[in-house]
Order: sequence, then C-alpha cells, then structure tokens
Amino acid sequence: MAMNNNDNKQAAVVECKQLTKIYKKLLAGKSKAVCALQDISLSVGRGQIVGLIGPNGAGKSTLLNLIAGLIFPNEGSVAVCGHPARSIEAHKGLGYMPEHPVFLGRYTARDVLRYHGALSGMSRQTISSQTDKLTEKLQMDEYLDRRCMDFSQGMKQRLALSIAMINDPKVLLLDEPSNGLDPIGIIQLRNFLKELRAAGTTIVISSHRLGELEQLTSDYMFMYRGQVVSFADELACAHAGRLRIELVSNGKAIAEKLLPPSKVLSVSDTELQIAVGDPEEVPDIVIDLAKGGARIMGVLLERENIEDVFVRLCHEGT
Amino acid sequence: MRKYELIRETFCRRGFIWIVHVVWLVLYGGFWWLFLPNGPEFGRFVFIWSGFFLPLALTAGIFGDDIASGRICVLVTKPLWAGELYICRVLGVTLQATAHFILTGCIVLILHLIMRKGSMEYLGTWLFASWLLFITVAALSTSLSVVVGRTFNSLLILVVVVTVYFILGLLMSSMRQKADTGVLTAFIRYAWPPFELLSKFAGGEYGKYSLIVGRFSVSKSVACVVHSLFLTVVYSLIGIILLGKRQFSRQRD
Repeated sequence: MAMNNNDNKQAAVVECKQLTKIYKKLLAGKSKAVCALQDISLSVGRGQIVGLIGPNGAGKSTLLNLIAGLIFPNEGSVAVCGHPARSIEAHKGLGYMPEHPVFLGRYTARDVLRYHGALSGMSRQTISSQTDKLTEKLQMDEYLDRRCMDFSQGMKQRLALSIAMINDPKVLLLDEPSNGLDPIGIIQLRNFLKELRAAGTTIVISSHRLGELEQLTSDYMFMYRGQVVSFADELACAHAGRLRIELVSNGKAIAEKLLPPSKVLSVSDTELQIAVGDPEEVPDIVIDLAKGGARIMGVLLERENIEDVFVRLCHEGT
Repeated sequence: MRKYELIRETFCRRGFIWIVHVVWLVLYGGFWWLFLPNGPEFGRFVFIWSGFFLPLALTAGIFGDDIASGRICVLVTKPLWAGELYICRVLGVTLQATAHFILTGCIVLILHLIMRKGSMEYLGTWLFASWLLFITVAALSTSLSVVVGRTFNSLLILVVVVTVYFILGLLMSSMRQKADTGVLTAFIRYAWPPFELLSKFAGGEYGKYSLIVGRFSVSKSVACVVHSLFLTVVYSLIGIILLGKRQFSRQRD
C-alpha cells in the first residue's frame, strides 16, 4: 500500500505529513469547529493510483484540496513533487479535476482548453497538439467547438479531465471523475487512467464508484470522520468468502460427518453454508462432499467486493 | 499567451459586459440630447456616471462569481502567481474603460460638430480624470470581490460610499462651528477613492494656487494623478495579498 507505510521504495511524488484540518467559521465558537481531517499521513510514489474512499463528510475532498493547495492545513505539511502544495513549482506538475467542474459558458471546449493550456504556460502549438491528443482519447471531437453552456454532465466531466491533463501533469488529482459518465465513458476513463499509470503519472482519486476503483488499483485509503481506517484485514477476509451448497437432502448429517464445525456457518437439510479461507479450496470441498455421499444440486461462492466491505464498515460505524 | 488569455477572459466573462457599455453610451447621448450641456458639465456627468458606476458594473463578481461557482479552484492550481491573475483582470477591465472613454470622447465630439452646442474645452481632462477614478474604483471593487460573495463587492462599495458621504455631509453641517472635521475630511480625501481631488483637478480648480498651464496647476494636477495611481496600487496590493492567502473550497467530503 502507498499509504501510511514505510515500504514505499519509490520517491514520494505526493507527501502528506500529519495533516490536520479544522473548518471554523469566522467569529464562531470552538464548539462549532469541524475537524475534517485528523493526523493524516500519505505518501504516493510515481505511477501509483491511490483511491480515497469513505462516506460523505469523511474528508476525501478536503484531502484532495490540501494536496491541490486550495486550502491550508492547521497542522502538518503537504508536498507535491518535493515543493509546498501551493507553490508555483508544485502546480507545474499538477492536474486537478474538481467534483463539479465549471467553465465560462460562452467559451467552446476548444477555447477552454486553450485558456487552461495558456495558464499552464504552454505555447500555442503545444496546446493545439495536446488538444488533438486529448480530444481523440476522450472522444470529444463532436463537441469541441460547441459552447460549454450547452454541455451535459458527461461532456463537462470529459472536458474537466482534459483540462487537468492539458499540461501532461506528473500528479493527477481526480474528485469523483466518473460522475455523469455513461458506461462507455466510464470504460474509456478507466482505460485512460491505466495508460496514464503505465506512463508514470501518479493519480489520487476520490470516488464513490468503488467497483471502478477496484478495477484501477489495490491501493485504497478508507476515510471515516477525518481519519484513516485500516481495513486491509477486512479486504483480505472479503477475498475469501462463503460457500453455499444446495443439497437434495441430509444436509445436517453430511455436515456432521464431513466438515469441521468451525467451518460450518449454517446448515439445513437442503443447504450448507461453509466459510472458505481461499477460493482455491472450493473444488476440493465439493469433491470431498460428493465422495462422502452428498447429492449436490448447486454451488455458489459468495465473496464481498470492496463496495460490500465499504457498506458494511460504514454500517458498523467502525 | 497567458496574459492575453487572462485579459481576453474579462471581455467574455459575462454576457452583460457588452450590454453595460452600450447602455452607458446610449445614456451619454440621452444626457447630451436632453440637457444640451456645456463641456465641463457633461464631463462632470461622465466623471461620476462612468468613473464611479461603470467599474462597479464591470467588476461585479469578478472574483466572487468564480469563487462561488468553484471555477477558481482549477485556476489557482495552474502554475501562475495570484498577482498575475489579479492584475490581468484589472488590466482587462481597464482596457475596456480606455476604449470606452475614447469612444465617449469621439461620440461627444461628433455630437458637438453636428449640433454645434456645448463646449469641448475641458472634456479631455474630465475623461482622463474619469479614467483615473475608474481604475481606482475598479481595483477597490476587484479586491473586495476576493472576500465578499458574488456581486456584492460593487453593491457594498455603492452603499458604503453613499452612506459615508451622507454622514459626512450631516457631520460637516452640524459640526462646522463646534469641532474640527479635518481628520475626517483628510481620510475621505486621501484614503478614499479620490472623487474630490480628481474632480477639482479636472475642473481646473487648482489653477488659482500655483504654476498654471491654462486653468490647470501643474504641480497639483500631477500630485492628483500620482495620488490616484498610488491608491490604485495600494488597493490592488491588498487584493493580491488576499487572493494569495485565501482558501478555496466548496465541499468538505
């Protein structure tokens, strides 16, 4: 894992140390202060994708905003490419995509890309070639010359991602990038991010679409009420599962005869539920049961994905 | 390229920008047509109407809109100095004002030639004073828009200026015999947008005190112009510092 660890051999591109962020309204008392982040440390190396997950109000966007230099921490420090988060040097290698992108409605997508390219210090020729490249990658050629005020949410998301990518950043911060994208758009986005990772771009991504994250990375940071919750054990358990076996009859007798009691989760005459530590055990279990006289009608291995674990953890409030 | 795009943005920021310019120009024509003014009187109208109200209209929400919508979050993650963003926006508005006042001068000149009424004698000075007042008020309004919400920067200046001058008028009339109002008037004169100094400069009222060219005192006119530019720089610096120190965030997820 890239987070909270010392096993990250690569030089950290994003380095957050003991970040604490407290939101407090002007003239409001201490009781009304909200601690959005508490003592968070994060280290992300080159070419890594780190997924920030957690329920609303967990502090994911706050963490992204701190890395982008949009807000300042009350305690701790953030460095991007070795420079303080709000410095011009840090922003030279940074691409940021907000959750709700906004553009000048009178500008076309091409105008917007030219504007942001110019702000990144790019020449006209570079902007033009980069625009062509991104347009092709994100399939925006149809609406490149349309005004942004007519854009759907999906178009806005693609344009916002293009803006973040216009200067070929070393670090890409994405806040809910698949919001409003259709299934094809989501697949394109996923493939694009995989290409970027292969090219060495570091990506920190906050998303509620956990299935999407699962296909992109195995580096997650689960956040809850401003703190990082370690759930590596939970995920490891989730990779095991529950084996549901439908039988014609005699389930109880077969369970008593063939299975250790610790593995049996529930039993009836027609169904056995067995805890499985490793999915590779399943064929052996089924063969043993069949040899022991069980007349098997169906076998189903139920495994939790990251989304199930997330929902369960949120539900448990751990 | 970067500066060009930032300045260009101020022209396309809102649809009503061009409508504001057209409305202002139509009103000059209306004023001229209805009141058949002499040069200085028309100049005084342009000074107040365009020197003060035009920057308020053009800079309304100039940063506040972007901050409220969250658009600023992407802009400030680009590798540029906050001051560059600020200066280019004020420059963009100033360029609009420059074109506006040149056009105003041309329209008034044409009207004068057609109608043979009014005087052109001090129009140039009034337009220059209007331009100076414009950039000072524009800088003040832009700086305010970094900290107050969408479009409230202009409204706030309007309300405060009107209130302050109303209270000042009351104080001056009631305290004339009782106490010295020097400190108050000095503050209004030198720290406030320079309405008084520039109107006296444009109206040629300083001519009687020192070396003059025509009706204009050279030293006092230069001082007025320098003071006005100095205030613009001070207001701008405050805005740049505020922009550099400000945090930008819409959500807390």
